[in-house]
Amino acid sequence: MISVHGIVEVGTFSREFSLDVGNEIVGMFGANGSGKTSVLRTIAGLCPLAQGELRVNDELTDAPAKNIFVLPEMRNIGMVFQDHSLFPFMTAIENASFPLQMRGVKRATAVKMAAEMLEQFGVAHIAQHMAPTLSGGQSQRVAIARALIGSPSAVLLDEPLSAIDEESRESVRNHIREHLVRLGVSAIVVSHDRAELDHLCTRIENYTR
Amino acid sequence: MESVGSRTPRFVRIGALLGVAFLALPVVGLLKRVAWSTLWAQLTDVATRDALRISLYASVCATALAFLLGLPLAWCLARMQFSGRRIIRALVLLPMVLPPVVGGVALLGAYGKSNGLLGGVLNSLFGIQLTYSLWGVIIAETFVALPFLVLALEGGLRSIDTKYEEAAAVMGATDITRFVRVALPLLKPSLVAGLMLAWARALGEFGATITFAGNIQGRTQTAPLAVYTMLESNPEGAYALSFLLVAVSVAVLVGLRDRWIGGATT
Repeated sequence: MISVHGIVEVGTFSREFSLDVGNEIVGMFGANGSGKTSVLRTIAGLCPLAQGELRVNDELTDAPAKNIFVLPEMRNIGMVFQDHSLFPFMTAIENASFPLQMRGVKRATAVKMAAEMLEQFGVAHIAQHMAPTLSGGQSQRVAIARALIGSPSAVLLDEPLSAIDEESRESVRNHIREHLVRLGVSAIVVSHDRAELDHLCTRIENYTR
Repeated sequence: MESVGSRTPRFVRIGALLGVAFLALPVVGLLKRVAWSTLWAQLTDVATRDALRISLYASVCATALAFLLGLPLAWCLARMQFSGRRIIRALVLLPMVLPPVVGGVALLGAYGKSNGLLGGVLNSLFGIQLTYSLWGVIIAETFVALPFLVLALEGGLRSIDTKYEEAAAVMGATDITRFVRVALPLLKPSLVAGLMLAWARALGEFGATITFAGNIQGRTQTAPLAVYTMLESNPEGAYALSFLLVAVSVAVLVGLRDRWIGGATT
């Protein structure tokens, strides 16, 4: 469960959001500059709420009035960043296993689980390739695998299919859906592609200004 | 045929040639004075060996100390907004522009045995004397080398996109883990360049060292001090040691070629 009721402020941008997400996949649709990415960053803990409250799985994680702010590393959130943000000094499999290692899973086990995830997303063959050598689509698949690995308590996907070629989209989309159902957590997908959200999400929130 | 815009005027070419000659002539002069037949014997002489040992030990220790002090300093200068930041940056740059002898005098004022602000306390409470000791050499070298490391690291930290550290935080990495596993690998090229520059500066230090730590053979006499001392008593040895220091400097430049020299090429 994700519940955001408050003002998200990043630089000169400011917008009030009121969003409740149960164990479902909610799509956020809107034009550039409507604050979709900013609200994901707020939920992840990368920028604090200016006003209001944020709850993740019934835990109050951000409430400026009550001086509560849970650090991002304590929130256990899986996230696909718009530009993927793969660590450039790591291979694809090192990237995918990173969240598990951060949460105490032994390296060998984490690498094994990451290999399975990369296999599912069709990028097992580039597991040992350094991140900067990956194509846009490969990089995005690794980023998705990295966000869904382990047991995140919520999943945030910012334009998760933008770099995936048309032919592979359905397969990647199905794998994302399968994992989200397996995890049984709240998921928010941000996109400016309405059709994409229709395919992937159970509900769509329109944030067109 | 060169276009007018890309044509270099003759007087500029002549000026550049004169500049190259000005820089190359001392190196050629030095190489000409090296007694190649006795080079090995000169370099393995007791005084030379002592000077090299002290130089190597002190410069490595100074570089390590500069790293320990310089990394947090560079981090704060690059990533934090606070009042007095400009003053601190000026303070960091000061040893670069200060005459090294003046740096040595300033170090005496801070760490001198009897009148130093901290040195007096260290001596009276613990009997520790920094002046005229190997520690004195290390402190003097750290003082002059630190700015090179801080500048390189600060530039490196500014060029790193913080999105990777943000992504790591979301994945559960704590402050220290983000620093060690994400920021440091991203900083590696700047760190290597900074360490090499700092080490080269420490190795070549003269003025602050002779003023603060003295010129005692086998104790505080580093290679540059030995060159200075030997120039009158044993010029062959001085040239042999100078040649070695030039060779080390060239090796540092070769090591940094991609970052500092190659960067200027297109």
